[in-house]
Amino acid sequence: MSACAGVFAVSCIREQATGAETLQRESQLNQFLAEVERRALRIAEIGIRDRDEAMDLVQDAMIKLVRNYAARPQAEWAPLFYRILQNGVRDWHRRRKVRNHIMVWFGRGSSNDDDDYDFVAQAPDPAGRSPDEELQIDEAMQQLEIAVRALPTRQREAFMLRTFEGFDVAGTAVAMGCSTGSVKTHYSRAVHALRDKLGEHWQ
Amino acid sequence: MNEPRDKERLTGVAAADARFAEQAKEQFDGSVDRLDAAALSRLNRARHAALDELRQPSFVGQWVRWMPATGIAAAVLITVMVMRGPRDIELIVEPVAVTDFELLLDNESLEMLEDLEFYSWLDAADLDTYGNVG
Repeated sequence: MSACAGVFAVSCIREQATGAETLQRESQLNQFLAEVERRALRIAEIGIRDRDEAMDLVQDAMIKLVRNYAARPQAEWAPLFYRILQNGVRDWHRRRKVRNHIMVWFGRGSSNDDDDYDFVAQAPDPAGRSPDEELQIDEAMQQLEIAVRALPTRQREAFMLRTFEGFDVAGTAVAMGCSTGSVKTHYSRAVHALRDKLGEHWQ
Repeated sequence: MNEPRDKERLTGVAAADARFAEQAKEQFDGSVDRLDAAALSRLNRARHAALDELRQPSFVGQWVRWMPATGIAAAVLITVMVMRGPRDIELIVEPVAVTDFELLLDNESLEMLEDLEFYSWLDAADLDTYGNVG
């Protein structure tokens, strides 16, 4: 009987400790997600040019991070979160490409799509922004968005993660799932392509 | 010979790249600040929906929580089965099997079955003669 009571007491203490840890972890996760959510939404939106879809991708990334990586060290959350988000953006493009192929097969879509998402850059804006909001967006940012969207996928990811999110090379490599050397190459090419496209006087 | 000039040019390119990245970051941050209230509200709801995942124990978590109790119960059950199981089987199964076997092999029982009509007449006659004496 005393052994059973001992096991029960240990179980209760462990339960209390786990509850406190969960609360602390929840607070840390809440703070982390609140810090990254707005930039993540804009990054996803630039990637797929659709705010509603971008919102869904951000929410999926949040849920997957909490469900699968909440126990990981806090320093790993940001690269993991953006890795999940970038995978979501890539999957979104893949699904869209398949859908476009099917539409072309049935003679209801455009057949001009190539392998590098140019159809997204050329598509009309379905972002769902209000006219007022559209007016608010700076012309320079619009030019930048169009230019970033036209970059090859890996260059776009490297540029957005390094420039917009402020990751270092190592963090970007984790988020992209590639080597630091590849990150440097993609980023350098992206910056040069954007500078060439936007010109020296872009601001 | 041209090394200093190349280095200067490379440094100039790197500086221009850095300046461009800084300007792009400023533009991006401005667009983040201009997100409307509806988007911010949806982000807030999405965040809380994600955090709800922490409060829902996973299947694995539930299994881990109940594992000690399940283990103890299983150990007790196995112990009881090992200690009592075979004896119970001997007690129940063996006598029945032996009785059936004896019935099949017993010649007297077969003869009794053949003269069943005679024995029932004998019982009836005893009852008529001596009454119901048990």
